[in-house]
Amino acid sequence: MAWGDLCYFKDNIVSILISCLIGPVLYLVAFGYGLGNSMQGGADNYIQFIIPGIISMATLSTTFSFVSSKVMIQKIFYSSFDELLLCPIKTSSVVLGKSLVGVLRGLLSCTVIMAIGSILSPGIQITPFLFVLVLVSSLTFSLLGILAALIAKRHNTLNVFSSLVIVPMTFLCGTIFKISDVPAALGYIIRALPLTQPTEAIRAEMLNEALPWLSILIMCAYCVIFYALDYYIIKTGKY
Amino acid sequence: MEKKVVIEARNLRKSFDDFEAVKGIDLEVFEGEIFGFLGPNGAGKTTSIRMLTTMLKPTSGQVIINGYSAEKDAILAKASIGVSQQHISLDKDIKVRQNIKHHAMLRKIPFRDIEPRMKELTELMGLGPFMDKMVVELSGGWRRKVSLVCSLIHDPKILFLDEPTAGLDTKSRHALWGIIRQLNNKGTTIFLTTHYIEEAEGLCDRVAIVNLGKIVASGSPKELCDSVGHITVEYVNRDGKRFGKQFPDRQSGKEFMETLKDDTNVTLRKTTLEDVFLIVTGEEYSKGGADNKITENN
Repeated sequence: MAWGDLCYFKDNIVSILISCLIGPVLYLVAFGYGLGNSMQGGADNYIQFIIPGIISMATLSTTFSFVSSKVMIQKIFYSSFDELLLCPIKTSSVVLGKSLVGVLRGLLSCTVIMAIGSILSPGIQITPFLFVLVLVSSLTFSLLGILAALIAKRHNTLNVFSSLVIVPMTFLCGTIFKISDVPAALGYIIRALPLTQPTEAIRAEMLNEALPWLSILIMCAYCVIFYALDYYIIKTGKY
Repeated sequence: MEKKVVIEARNLRKSFDDFEAVKGIDLEVFEGEIFGFLGPNGAGKTTSIRMLTTMLKPTSGQVIINGYSAEKDAILAKASIGVSQQHISLDKDIKVRQNIKHHAMLRKIPFRDIEPRMKELTELMGLGPFMDKMVVELSGGWRRKVSLVCSLIHDPKILFLDEPTAGLDTKSRHALWGIIRQLNNKGTTIFLTTHYIEEAEGLCDRVAIVNLGKIVASGSPKELCDSVGHITVEYVNRDGKRFGKQFPDRQSGKEFMETLKDDTNVTLRKTTLEDVFLIVTGEEYSKGGADNKITENN
């Protein structure tokens, strides 16, 4: 199912990796060393705080835009998305196949950031469960990317959605600051957003804190909801 | 021996909000034939073909493909068909070889069988030198051939071709006609939609002409021509407007020609599928191209 996308991934691995990593690494430098010095506890403490946030951010930024534009192009410009529906395969295979490359991209870029992070801040811990969290988060945002591409009728709509929802989420969901620092009302809204949950879970796992199981549960719920919506839209042809 | 029906549509309808695009189509396509589906723009051809290929759910009615219901047994119905869509649906940012392999995998062809099947089809289409090129680098004709290989990779019983020669030059068009005949000779049933009437006339065993969401005529090209009169008198009036009138025999046609004014440009010829198309769809004869004298063509 994902063969075509994987071929593209393999043939363009260098440019894909560069585009995946340039943003998170810049955030790490700018926020970690730039802002970090002015933070309470100094740059080292802040870098330890921000690395999980940047990993969480990467599960969104490296998957959503790639998957949504790929599906959008295949749907509108290449018409190759229709071709999938002509094949004797289940709708669930279409949904999961289309999200696979996003997951791969998310895992790959987060692994590189983890490697850089462990050099910059040896205190953080990298565990197998951390990879599970990254995988679920990447899958959630890949499914969201498919959903956005299926709903949007034009490429411009996708850009507007990205500017209004994805970019604010990238910065607001506790990635670069503590949610407890924002006014309570705004805090409630932020907690409801789908990036907040993986940020909290990834941070807790990397800093060896108690795991926020409710956040993990909500993260999985988002994943199931996005999957169900993708499935419904493809199955009923409402895209 | 009774012919096996491999595509069947019963009272097929499709509405989009208040607009009814397809208004009750009934058709049967027999195993091993080339069936042409013709109609002017907006007649409901693409909507019909999308329903016949399981891509669009009908508002009502039934589609049976190779004995399987397109709704209830969609996966089995899909396994019997190959589709080359009007807009070439290939991933243009990967190579030709990768596109074909991708289609083979989507069609669940065992891995060991992919290479031999791919070789056989690419030789048939002459695609050998282009296998490692990106699709985006190919001309329209070559992209169409890649699309055909993808739709044939699983050796389907039925091949749907939606405007396969649209945008191709004459040479490529003739080459593709040859390939379509070759596939049909090997036993593939072909369902073809086209804007080129001469293409349908030259290739199809039977055709259906659709207009405003309904089939308005069907049969073999010869049957259709005979049904309106196999002799046509085509004439152009002083305003340059072209008309055609059909007659059952040459003599009646000649008698009609004599009633026309001397300065009218007149041609007497055999009725073509294009004449039938213009009559049953209520379209006008196109302007221009008339000789400045009375001519008789066989």
